[in-house]
Amino acid sequence: MPARRSKIITRWYFTCPALLLGALTGLTQAPPAPGSNEAKLVADFKQRAQQYLDWRENTVGKTPPPANSPEKIVAVRHELANKVRASRAGAKQGEIFTHEIADYFRHQIAATMNGRYGKQIRSSLLHSEPTEMNLRINQSYPENVPLQSTPPTLLLNLPELPKGLEYRILGRELVLRDSDANIIVDYIPNALPGAK
Amino acid sequence: MIVRRRSFWLVICAFIIYAALTNAQSKLDVRLPLKDKSVRFAVIGDSGTGERDQYQTAKEMEAYHNAINFDFVIMLGDNIYGGHEPRDFARKFEVPYQPLLDADVKFYASLGNHDDPKLEPLYKPFNMNGERYYTFKKDFVQFFALDSNYMDAQQLTWLEQNLRLSKAQWKICFFHHPLYNEGKMHGPDLDLRNQLLPLLKTYGVNVVFSGHEHAYERLKPVDNIYYFVQGDSGKLERHDFHQSNELAASFDRARTFMLVEITGDTLYFQTISENGETVDSGALPRAAAAVKAAPSAQ
Repeated sequence: MPARRSKIITRWYFTCPALLLGALTGLTQAPPAPGSNEAKLVADFKQRAQQYLDWRENTVGKTPPPANSPEKIVAVRHELANKVRASRAGAKQGEIFTHEIADYFRHQIAATMNGRYGKQIRSSLLHSEPTEMNLRINQSYPENVPLQSTPPTLLLNLPELPKGLEYRILGRELVLRDSDANIIVDYIPNALPGAK
Repeated sequence: MIVRRRSFWLVICAFIIYAALTNAQSKLDVRLPLKDKSVRFAVIGDSGTGERDQYQTAKEMEAYHNAINFDFVIMLGDNIYGGHEPRDFARKFEVPYQPLLDADVKFYASLGNHDDPKLEPLYKPFNMNGERYYTFKKDFVQFFALDSNYMDAQQLTWLEQNLRLSKAQWKICFFHHPLYNEGKMHGPDLDLRNQLLPLLKTYGVNVVFSGHEHAYERLKPVDNIYYFVQGDSGKLERHDFHQSNELAASFDRARTFMLVEITGDTLYFQTISENGETVDSGALPRAAAAVKAAPSAQ
């Protein structure tokens, strides 16, 4: 009996926040139906992202532990970036965001930005110091260019990423960034709809 | 004879300079009650320029630290502008705040859009323990440092869980992008507000500190939550405000930092400019709509 009770409590402990969060925010679109083409695209994308991260962590290296010396942290970051660049020198745009996956993302972003909170999302994008630059795969994100914040409602409507990878917006492009190595892993051109 | 006279005047001059300096030191305008068992800290935002004005503000903080002995500093983002080479960490953080670091004052950073979201959490003096968002407790006050650049599902779930579990008498959130802001340069982040506000309200957050707008603002409380914008400890944007009834106080003529003391059910605050002028101060009761504060500095 106690074991069963503990199981129920544990299940409730994990379910409750998710339910409450959903109820409180209520801003996400319905996830793709299991077995649908969208669900397959999301699964394919997540697998590709995870594969990149596994490869990078196993072959190139992981993020270092916290340190007092900025020299140490910065040196590890540069080393990580250089190794990634050398090891995937032939990588091309579209290897993770394949044509079909990119179209799914474009559709998802357009639906979110044309939805109930589109106005707030656009306003947040405008207020977050928008930046544009020419993107290249394996390029380091320039250290002196601010990282434009990504509107939370948009993030909640995109597939979740494993720790170590993140989405970033640059102009109308959606970038997949390796945050440990500060490398642009892939991007979707014209991912965001044009100005209204 | 001439040498003696010169020596006499040198001693007089030295005495006058010494008297002026000690007088200035002793004339610090401390408006906090400095009670026993209170939680005392400083607040800086958008500080990391590495320029003269940041150093001047840091110097003023040091003087107040000597007088009131605050224990720690919360940083509201844009801690290191521009490059993130080791020399930048030194010039934009370690050197200006060295006297405070030497005095064992801890700095707790949150991330702004000019910060490096990977390097800075790994930098031990920022006390982020490798994380973009984290929480820490000081007696009866719990702080939640958030990454408002990237408020994803994991962070929102983490925040919900930690706020729900918190038994602290005071809950304080700090992050870079303001939810409410009457500044002309950036304004409020409406999408962030959509996501965060329900959690802050549901779990009884008392105070929110943000930066990003390069000025000082104290807003009238919304749903019993006090909002401060403190984005001018390094950068400054003059003539920066919309005409608004939502502002309780504002200041954009010089860089500032804040001192905060929490004792029981009251939060005392004092906002000080780089020139040592107190530009705002007051006492705010916990979870009450009425604000008993000094008249607006605007």
